[in-house]
Amino acid sequence: MGSNNKRRWGMVIETKRCIDCKACMVACEVENQVPLGKHRNWVGQEGPTGKFPVLGLRFEPGNCMHCENPPCLRVCPTGATYRREDGLVLVDYDKCIGCRYCMQACPYDARYLDEQRGVVDKCTFCVHRLDAGQLPACVETCIGGARHAGDLNDPNSEVARLLARNDHTVIYQEAGTRPAVYYIS
Amino acid sequence: MESIEWGLLVVNYLFLAGVSAGAFAISAIGTHVGGPRFRHVAQVGALIAPWPAMVGVGLLVLDLGRPLAFYNLFLTVQYTSPMSIGAWLLSVFILLSLAYAALWVPAPLDNLLRAPTRVQDVAHFARWILLSPKAIRRWRAILATAGFPVSLSVGIYTGILLGAVPSRPFWNTPMLAQLFLFSAMSTGTAAVLLVTALLGTHRANRYEEERRLLVSTDIVLIVLEIFMLIPFLLHHALSPWSSASSIQLILGGEFTLWFWIGTILLGILLPLAIEGYELLPVTHKASATRHSLELSAASSALVLAGGFVLRYVFVYAGQVSHFLPVMAH
Repeated sequence: MGSNNKRRWGMVIETKRCIDCKACMVACEVENQVPLGKHRNWVGQEGPTGKFPVLGLRFEPGNCMHCENPPCLRVCPTGATYRREDGLVLVDYDKCIGCRYCMQACPYDARYLDEQRGVVDKCTFCVHRLDAGQLPACVETCIGGARHAGDLNDPNSEVARLLARNDHTVIYQEAGTRPAVYYIS
Repeated sequence: MESIEWGLLVVNYLFLAGVSAGAFAISAIGTHVGGPRFRHVAQVGALIAPWPAMVGVGLLVLDLGRPLAFYNLFLTVQYTSPMSIGAWLLSVFILLSLAYAALWVPAPLDNLLRAPTRVQDVAHFARWILLSPKAIRRWRAILATAGFPVSLSVGIYTGILLGAVPSRPFWNTPMLAQLFLFSAMSTGTAAVLLVTALLGTHRANRYEEERRLLVSTDIVLIVLEIFMLIPFLLHHALSPWSSASSIQLILGGEFTLWFWIGTILLGILLPLAIEGYELLPVTHKASATRHSLELSAASSALVLAGGFVLRYVFVYAGQVSHFLPVMAH
């Protein structure tokens, strides 16, 4: 992941900064008109851990990982799920027949069926905002400053610098998906 | 987090496609092996084969989020998607099995040949178009040969479709493909057995050879299923945490009774006992199997029910099984 002409969108999430306000979930739902009851992103919780009175609680925001090796793309029978040059994994709604195989294949449960349109949908990293030079809605609204987005291939970007300076992991590394969302805890 | 996306429509499809594949396969075997001895089995299998699959495909289309957009499946071939391959496979199978079935429709035309002259001319013409008896036999053999690997593929690909999904630990084993194949062959054979039993033809002495073929084939397939299920259980139980945790769904969890009573007891052990009882006299050098319409209908109905429950348990339990939640540390 060195300096590269090609852009690769990614996210870095500092879980210590997350306070579980869930503003990112609200912002996403408003920005992307997500159907009621469905979610493009989430905030996971671990704990309380420890023994009273020394207790701990950890929050872990998440969304579609825009994997480099996406299992959803592999199983799509119509080629509706595709990956852009800049790393975004997106759905062509004209080709999607709503078979939901991709939903079975995703280890992160990132996808949902949009019942009204009959197609499967998910986080797009707010591609419409990225293409307009803006940040994804969840990143822009995060009041704790836990969510960061940017070009992983640009060494001067915030995300690249965060990764260079901190230990980081991804979720379900053993699944071989190579996510574009990194976690710093 | 764990939503059941694929429900009874999908379970029904898997079951019906398996029955079709198995019925075709046993018919193909009957066409090629033993000459006229297995003609009745071949005919019943051929006539049964297309319909369950066609109904199943209809259910699948209805299950889609956008049923009217199903044609998108046929605008491309996605080689990494078992569902794409399966859509094409199924289409080939259905067309082939329909053509094959047409060759087995009893020809009433022979009666027309004894009719008044005008009708005779029509009959001769139709006969010419529809091929002579020798040509019909040849085409049956050709389609049986061509269709046999297709039917096996239909029987196996659904197991690959589920088995190739690492995100569902209950499914994620190569053994699933084999298990589904044996179940497909077994339920297909049972369907043929059930129809011949209900037709009453099963009981006549001249069908003794066919009875033996069907019952012994079914026994072999059931035993093969057992030999798939045992390693399946052991393998999962001894595997990493996600797999071991997922197998608990049928070892004490919510699908335990369905699996052990529905699939194992009713679908495997009971039919095995009944069919073994029927076949036993032959092993002691008796001339005929113990045959009874009731026993055959019972054992084959049980096999079919068990095959359905097998699909139900696997489809549902698989969707409940996930990678165990792990926070990024």
